[in-house]
Amino acid sequence: MLIPHPLLGLRDAQEFTYLGDASLIDRPEGSDEAALADYVYLRDNPAGLHRELWFHEQGDRSWLVVTRNTLTHEIVSAELARDVALARKEGVA
Amino acid sequence: MLDLIPLCALGATTPQEFRQGALTLTEMPETGLVSLTLQRGAARPALDLPEPGFWAAGAGHAAFWTGPGQWFIELPGRAQEDPIPFLAPQAPGCSLTEQTDGWVLFELQSSQGAEAIEAFLEHAVNLDLCKMGPGRATRSVIEHMGVYLLRRSDDRLAIWGMRSAAESLWHALTTLARRQSARG
Repeated sequence: MLIPHPLLGLRDAQEFTYLGDASLIDRPEGSDEAALADYVYLRDNPAGLHRELWFHEQGDRSWLVVTRNTLTHEIVSAELARDVALARKEGVA
Repeated sequence: MLDLIPLCALGATTPQEFRQGALTLTEMPETGLVSLTLQRGAARPALDLPEPGFWAAGAGHAAFWTGPGQWFIELPGRAQEDPIPFLAPQAPGCSLTEQTDGWVLFELQSSQGAEAIEAFLEHAVNLDLCKMGPGRATRSVIEHMGVYLLRRSDDRLAIWGMRSAAESLWHALTTLARRQSARG
């Protein structure tokens, strides 16, 4: 499997490690224990497009948000997680 | 005081060299290494810092991209001194960390031009060879060991690997060269 790194182009998946659902970026703030429990334990398990976090461990050590089709393994897009998080922060502000 | 004997990464007092067919692999103990990281919001220094996937030569040093806002600076001939005083005036506002003792540098020279280097890369790493021409630099994996690969020129490839695994990496590289020679 090849992952289209936004800075380096297509790279072999063996250079990456997989973390999981990209919603892990949205850690709830404050002391809402129920929200934190949902954040830690609850995941969607979609058959289809899935946004997930990949770490380019044997590469430039950046975190990517990869949109992958779990039925076909087709990778639709890959963005730097930093850009995704910053864009979201600006959207909230 | 103990009188300590300086050793190269492969354990001998002199650097190792290995020849097989068109390829010569040489241990390069004299090159120093420093990481350079831009601090948030800081201006880019006047150093020639290449774009992602490339390396660039400067005055007395060469730099290669290692990550967003991060580079490694190679300092030929400065492995046995503190490289920070040399580099710091050229990189105001950057975070510099000496890396020399964490890494080992091997240079692979081909006597048959690009062909032997590219045949070597094809078997060593899962990288797109179109993106490994002269001027390119990237991190990847050889035999499960992380390495930085710098294509110095058509017939020359530099390999930075973990110093603690220098002998394992040397074994992997020399084995690859032997197999390449056997294929003919």
